[in-house]
Amino acid sequence: MIHPRRLSLILAGLAALCLTPAAWAGAPTDQLKAHIDQVIKMLEEPVLKVDGKVKERRVAVRKVADNFFDFAETARRSLARHWQGRTDKEREEFVKLFADLLERSYISRIELYGGEKIQYAGERSDGDVATVFTKIITKQGQEVPVDYRMLRRGDHWLVYDISIEGVSLISNYRTQFNKIIQTSSYGELVKKLKTKQEEFLFEEETKTKGSAEK
Amino acid sequence: MRRSALDLGVGIFVLIGILALGWLSVKLGRVEFLGGQGYQVTADFPSVGGLKAGSAVEIAGVEVGRVEAITLADYQARVLIRIRSDVKLQEDSIASIKTKGLIGEKYVRINPGGSDRVIPPNGRIREVEAPVDFEELLSKYIFGKV
Repeated sequence: MIHPRRLSLILAGLAALCLTPAAWAGAPTDQLKAHIDQVIKMLEEPVLKVDGKVKERRVAVRKVADNFFDFAETARRSLARHWQGRTDKEREEFVKLFADLLERSYISRIELYGGEKIQYAGERSDGDVATVFTKIITKQGQEVPVDYRMLRRGDHWLVYDISIEGVSLISNYRTQFNKIIQTSSYGELVKKLKTKQEEFLFEEETKTKGSAEK
Repeated sequence: MRRSALDLGVGIFVLIGILALGWLSVKLGRVEFLGGQGYQVTADFPSVGGLKAGSAVEIAGVEVGRVEAITLADYQARVLIRIRSDVKLQEDSIASIKTKGLIGEKYVRINPGGSDRVIPPNGRIREVEAPVDFEELLSKYIFGKV
């Protein structure tokens, strides 16, 4: 016979064990998987699947992405050498523009999701940095390797780089940003990012208006 | 008397020839004496696909070092690189294995980062990109569509 008080103590202990964030640390794969599952669930949500809800769905996905993606770190690493000469205000503005750029190019791509499977193929950690290897299996059975580079921030592991087929996101943007800054200037790069974002918002606006009129 | 002068001439000629050959092999084989200058860093790649000891290491197309050795560590390829001492690598530099042209030789390209911490001698480049395997990509497109 277990004494009821002892039983409640055991239960409280178990509950604490499940709730402590410390149990999460050291498990980059688990954290990543939880976030990705959350995004997939959101994409499969029938309420958000309707055409007119594109914007709502994007906002929702972005919100989750903000939780496990370290946009500031990615922006800093992508700007590389040119990050040093920026003022705090410029940095803040750049991080915002860069997050918008990623949203435009990736989150809109995620919306094409149609039941692809994601396989977790192990992780490799080294101090505060970890790599989680995953494979996206398309409906045709093709395997696309996607590696997530993650940084530890307290109890959370945040993604700062994604390699698809071995091509790193940061490396790609670093080369492009460097080229633009070297041939023109930092101001030009910011201007370019701003115009692209405005164009995108304008397109989005006309699209939603069009579908509403239908 | 005349005979020995001729012998001496031939001897000197042969000696110069051997020295020239020695210089040529050092130059062509890129042998470095006394361990070479600069400092060493390592980088772990999932695959090196065709990279060899002696391959070039470049930043912006300029050679800044060479691959000294490639070993297997924990089923990954550990590449030992010697970098010129006047070149500093930031902690977030990315090392990628690239091909010169479509089917040219492999080399390591370093994309410099923006961190204020630099990689110390015998340190490690943590951010790496594996070479793109063209055959694998090709086979995906050939056999992939069912």
